Amino acid sequence: MTTQNIGLFKALGAKMDYLDQRQRVIAQNIANADTPSYLPKDLLPVDFGKVLKSVTSEPTVRPETTSALHMPSPNHIDDPKNRGQKKVYEEAPYGNSVILEEQMVRSSRNQADYNLMTNLYTKNVNMIRMALGRQG
Amino acid sequence: MSDELFGAMGISASGMRVQSTRVRVVSENLANSATAATTPEETPYTRQIVTFKNQLDKQVGYDTVRVKEIDYDTKKPYPLKYMPDHPGANEEGYVRMPNVDTLIETMDMREAQRSYEANLGMLDQSRNMALQTIDLLRR
Repeated sequence: MTTQNIGLFKALGAKMDYLDQRQRVIAQNIANADTPSYLPKDLLPVDFGKVLKSVTSEPTVRPETTSALHMPSPNHIDDPKNRGQKKVYEEAPYGNSVILEEQMVRSSRNQADYNLMTNLYTKNVNMIRMALGRQG
Repeated sequence: MSDELFGAMGISASGMRVQSTRVRVVSENLANSATAATTPEETPYTRQIVTFKNQLDKQVGYDTVRVKEIDYDTKKPYPLKYMPDHPGANEEGYVRMPNVDTLIETMDMREAQRSYEANLGMLDQSRNMALQTIDLLRR
């Protein structure tokens, strides 16, 4: 057994993956701060409470959806996708609407969230250690 | 996991690269802001402009910023300066000077500097995130 199969660690991993991806999208927005007619992108927010619930309940058999017409499984986690941001503060005359400050705020929020995830991970590992009788 | 973070770092690096190209072009413009025509027929130094584009880098699989082209500013007229002794002077004694406005160039340089700093900050953050993950191994 690895820690990856424990529900909570799975959820933490999912959130870290999401934050990784978001970091890349923000980096792209900042790199394109002077590209004509570039619209900033962001990921759709994902409800991680739902993710946690679905990964911790651990259903043993899950139906596979092979067609778009299939009904999704109740434990289905929606996939965040890159989407053009809808509302922008302002647009430069050459059609670029990246606001550096806004992107910087997002990236620091992203980093703080990531920090939280790694800290939670460490805490949980220490709890498991303690249960094993080794003082972490 | 780290593919995304290293991707973010690659994108920030591409942003920094285009901004440094911009600074290079601005300094070229500034250095040549007094390069007048040496004969009345010749055109003096023409201001250059950098444009950027967002392009898919097939090797890494995501969009990076590239310099689209370094173009000449042919719209702005060359200012005339009265210097009858100059070899480039016409019959009335006027010399065509480069169409470089040092004030505009300085502002453009400031803007490039800010964008560069933002990219650098982003690179630093992505690197810290990757390091934090690696640190999990030590506990």
